[in-house]
Amino acid sequence: MRIILAPMRRHSLMPALVLLQVALACAILCNVFFLAWQRLEPMLAPSGVDADNLILVDNLAAQGRTYTAAESVAGEDALRAVPGVRAASSGFGLPMVSIASLMVNLQGATHAAVGVNAFFGKNLVQTLGLEMVAGRDFLPSEYRPWGLGASNGPDSDWDTGVTQPVIITQALADKLFGATPAVGQWLHDPDPNDKSDHGYQVVGVVKHLLRNELGLATDGRADYTVLLARNIGNTAMLSYAVRVDPAMRDIALQGVKNAIKRQFGGATAGGARARVQTYVQKRNDAFKNARAALWLLLGMVLAIVIVTLVGIMGLTGFWVQRRTRQIGIRRALGARRAHILRDFLVENLLIVGTGIIIGMVLAYAGNILLMHYYELPHLPWTYLPVGAAVMLAIGQAGVLAPAMRAAAVPPVVATRSV
Amino acid sequence: MFGYYLDMAVRSLRRNKVLTGLMVLAIAMGIGASMTTLTVLHVLSGDPLPGRSASLYYPQIDPRDMADYEPNVEPPDQVSWIDGMYLLHAKRATRQALMTGGMVPLQPAQSSIYPFHAMALYTSADFFPMFDVPFQYGNAWGSIEDDSKARVVVISAKLNDKLFGGQNSVGKTLRLQETAFRIIGVLGAWHPQPHFYQIYMGSYADDEDIFLPLSTSRDVRMDHAGNTDCWGNGGGDNNTLEHASCVWLQFWVQLDTPQQAAAYQDFLVHYSQEQHAAGRFLRPPNVRLRNVMQWLDYQQVVPSDTRLQVWLALGFLVVCLVNTVGLMLSKFMRRAGELGVRRALGASQRALFGQLLMESGVVGVVGGTLGLLLALFGLWLVRQQPTDYARLAHMDSSMLLTTFGLAVCASLLAGLLPAWRACRITPALQLKAN
Repeated sequence: MRIILAPMRRHSLMPALVLLQVALACAILCNVFFLAWQRLEPMLAPSGVDADNLILVDNLAAQGRTYTAAESVAGEDALRAVPGVRAASSGFGLPMVSIASLMVNLQGATHAAVGVNAFFGKNLVQTLGLEMVAGRDFLPSEYRPWGLGASNGPDSDWDTGVTQPVIITQALADKLFGATPAVGQWLHDPDPNDKSDHGYQVVGVVKHLLRNELGLATDGRADYTVLLARNIGNTAMLSYAVRVDPAMRDIALQGVKNAIKRQFGGATAGGARARVQTYVQKRNDAFKNARAALWLLLGMVLAIVIVTLVGIMGLTGFWVQRRTRQIGIRRALGARRAHILRDFLVENLLIVGTGIIIGMVLAYAGNILLMHYYELPHLPWTYLPVGAAVMLAIGQAGVLAPAMRAAAVPPVVATRSV
Repeated sequence: MFGYYLDMAVRSLRRNKVLTGLMVLAIAMGIGASMTTLTVLHVLSGDPLPGRSASLYYPQIDPRDMADYEPNVEPPDQVSWIDGMYLLHAKRATRQALMTGGMVPLQPAQSSIYPFHAMALYTSADFFPMFDVPFQYGNAWGSIEDDSKARVVVISAKLNDKLFGGQNSVGKTLRLQETAFRIIGVLGAWHPQPHFYQIYMGSYADDEDIFLPLSTSRDVRMDHAGNTDCWGNGGGDNNTLEHASCVWLQFWVQLDTPQQAAAYQDFLVHYSQEQHAAGRFLRPPNVRLRNVMQWLDYQQVVPSDTRLQVWLALGFLVVCLVNTVGLMLSKFMRRAGELGVRRALGASQRALFGQLLMESGVVGVVGGTLGLLLALFGLWLVRQQPTDYARLAHMDSSMLLTTFGLAVCASLLAGLLPAWRACRITPALQLKAN
């Protein structure tokens, strides 16, 4: 050990520079990994829906009036009549339709309050192709009308006056009720002043259903979605989910487009045109920004890795060169090549290890700084070992070539006066 | 002497091409990343109307009821029709304009162009002189047209090109929402970024193609788009917006002196007190008067992603600099023998220091050039991104100069410590060791 520490004490500038570089790189890497994961998590989350056979229709906004419940149902019927269509639901807050979404606060037996995205619409379990793991689907008699933006006219009231049945996801069941079975349990709004809240009773649990506020689908909240037994009533905005026969996908897509045009024409508000897209297409568009950001972060990681690698190689190479004579002497006195190699690797390990410890502190400081400007949670400690492992690997990779060169120094160098 | 130092620096750098290349690359990558993100931030946080923006203010008042009342909350971001009209007609500022946006169905006279929806701004006459909007043909409407709800319209140069091939279209008729409008003016090039006066249609959105009097837009019942905030039993129905307890209009004033601004603030407080006393406003007076830059700052128009990227890139630049310090140190120390000889032959420490710094400077200039290329490439990448501000990401001359300044400063800073260490070599020791 002394043989490793002594040169570092004598010439402290070189190791200090390596250490500083490792600390900074480690701090940045930890934060970049964290930011990248924030964007990656919603992308990796299972959607829960029959993605390949789902078509979504949105952006149907009435011009200067609202759509009635009858119009909403007529649209459903028209879509169901299209060849290749298996099911169609008029809904609100459909998957990947983020133009408008509704958040509900729920509190269960564990007293943990969670904000969830609510999806509304008739027979959504069937139309979206969700997998039920417990309980049942809504009964036809349980549906109540609700519509968006019609300022509480007929058929659009949020307050039903009675307890509403609700279907939740497995992730929510675990969060809200822990180990107890969720079906039959009660949920309510945590705000005691909310007079429109008459509680919810869980009737069923689905395996997965990705929420449509993708920005919030991080930290295990991807499946924070509930289905409410509402059919779309008097509403300013309509959207439809359509499930098609896999064998007739293309024909059905064209058929749906034509049916929507026939049914609703071009007369929608604000110049908006109805959008008919497959789920896959919508998902692709929804993640466009996140993908661009991920590429940027990946580029950043690569650049940092390259720069740090080059830096360590350059500095250690120079340090080896300066100590050529000492290495020769040690070799002449009986040290093996393996000893020299090992000493350089261990030396690097020590320097990089110290750098990583400082880097972790810096990573936290950086995280706090970023939280100032950006809506970010605290950096979970699990990112620190990841950053540390990457830095150790970079350090060892960087020192390998110079250390091999050092090990190759012949003992005879000791006798020469370099 | 400068030429001589430069010559020596270049010779020395060419002697060890790999090490020099690595230093240049490190500086270039750091500068490239930083300048890309800084340029985007610079573009997005720019002043939309340089020279004028300090005297343009956005008054806010608080007409809401007591539901969810908390002291010290910000007043709403917009004004209601009643308050907006009162403030507009009070004429307490040099100029004032009330506005909102919308999409208007446009039926072109030519059968070759399909009817489409155009982005429109409904505003009052002072809009044009207040924001110093340039005209290519014709001119703006006045208060007479405002009062008479005249069917007149001002169109953008882009729309004029599209519909009239860039010819003078003043006096021609444009059909908007089944109504005939007379074109009275065509705008010149006017693209303030950010789109400060109406941020509800997108902060860096395309500019409007249609400008027409607010009074006319209400008379023809044109749809209003953007943000509508209601309270109490106010509904967002387009037909009754004049009487609803909703805020949906933006109001801008021009106040030329700080005294005028202070007086206007007092006026807003008095108005709020009067309305409070009359029972229309239920909350205590709560007013704000922000100028353009303060308003953009308050609305956080610059995307937070952009700031985040600047921080990351600057962190990366620091890593690159530490790296360069190490590489330069090893480069300078390798030449200890040569430096020792030169010291022994009479070169002063100061001269050696200057020469070594010259080397860092050359690395900085070369690294800066390469970094500039990287930044241009980076900006090209940003422009490929699917964001509404992407197309704005271009380098301007001030950022070009900043790039070189930053590169040279950074490399000189990185060279300071290594050069200082290398100069302290005792000539005798080095000569003996050789």
